[in-house]
Amino acid sequence: MQSKLSDLELIQETLGGNQAAYTELVKRHQRFVFTLALRFAKSREDAEEIAQDCFIKAFRSLASFQGQSKFSTWLYSIVYTTSMTFLRKKRLNTDSIDDENTYIQVENQTSAFDINNAENKSRSFYLNQAIGQLLPDDAAIITLFYKGEQSLEEIGRAMGMEANTVKVKLFRARQRLKEKLERNLKQEAKELI
Amino acid sequence: MNIEEKLWNYIDGSCPADEQQAIRSMIASDEAVRLKYQELLDLNAEFAAIEADEPPMAFTYNVMEAIRAEQAQKPLKAAINKRIILGIALFFAITITALLVYTFAHVHLAPADINSAIPSALKTMRAQNFLTRPVVNGFVFFDVVAALFFFDAWLRRKKKLSSI
Repeated sequence: MQSKLSDLELIQETLGGNQAAYTELVKRHQRFVFTLALRFAKSREDAEEIAQDCFIKAFRSLASFQGQSKFSTWLYSIVYTTSMTFLRKKRLNTDSIDDENTYIQVENQTSAFDINNAENKSRSFYLNQAIGQLLPDDAAIITLFYKGEQSLEEIGRAMGMEANTVKVKLFRARQRLKEKLERNLKQEAKELI
Repeated sequence: MNIEEKLWNYIDGSCPADEQQAIRSMIASDEAVRLKYQELLDLNAEFAAIEADEPPMAFTYNVMEAIRAEQAQKPLKAAINKRIILGIALFFAITITALLVYTFAHVHLAPADINSAIPSALKTMRAQNFLTRPVVNGFVFFDVVAALFFFDAWLRRKKKLSSI
């Protein structure tokens, strides 16, 4: 019955002391929050920690949510800042896309994907693999745009950027994703031959 | 802005109406643009089909448990209802006022006899009588303990703020 309530109604219920309403909110958004956290953390354990931290932070500050934006946009801004703090703690440089070290680091992370059998790999597998090779910011923008049902303005609000900057970043992220996808598919074809 | 960027904006619907019209006619007239547009459309559909990852089964339970644990750890001063504090304050205020009213009602204020002498047996208070060594030691000990307590509370608050 509670699942029919809107996010705002669930927030009001939670603020009124009904914790079950917040459980419903967590269930509703956990999949995407976890996915977004995974774009930054790369390991499931770290992503789970980030996602959990985000929901706890959101619960603490729920009273300060004004309802001027969507709850999801507000929640994703928490995910973004928490993930950035996580990355800073991990001493990963996410600022420069040309950073040689970062590139090597990200490239190395992808080698873990190669353990699967070639015949089990589908096109979506390669796509996920390519997303895993992107820099966190690029992967987050792609995920927010395609899976988070967020407009450019909302993504900008969540990431603390102008909508136009998001537009340019989204274009570049798509280009990089396309390049990586093509490269991975070529690599796989070579291995099969 | 290159043609690919324009096409992406067209697909997203984020370009102005006149530009949309121009791109539409380019797609219709130019074979290369049409092919590029089709390629980007396919990519867009592919990107849109990316599946979100599933968190562990116990994720919601863990979040709610963490919230419950955090709430249980709340300091007592935060858990006390402000109405109770107000009630206690009101009780004391009424009691003190009633006592003052009762006292003043029973005091007969008569003019003092100017010629009457101060009784010779009246003793003056001397601070030295009270500031004995054990009292001073006790006072210093209490101050040190209080200072350590407040310093600890300050450090905890600082740590909590930095973790947010």
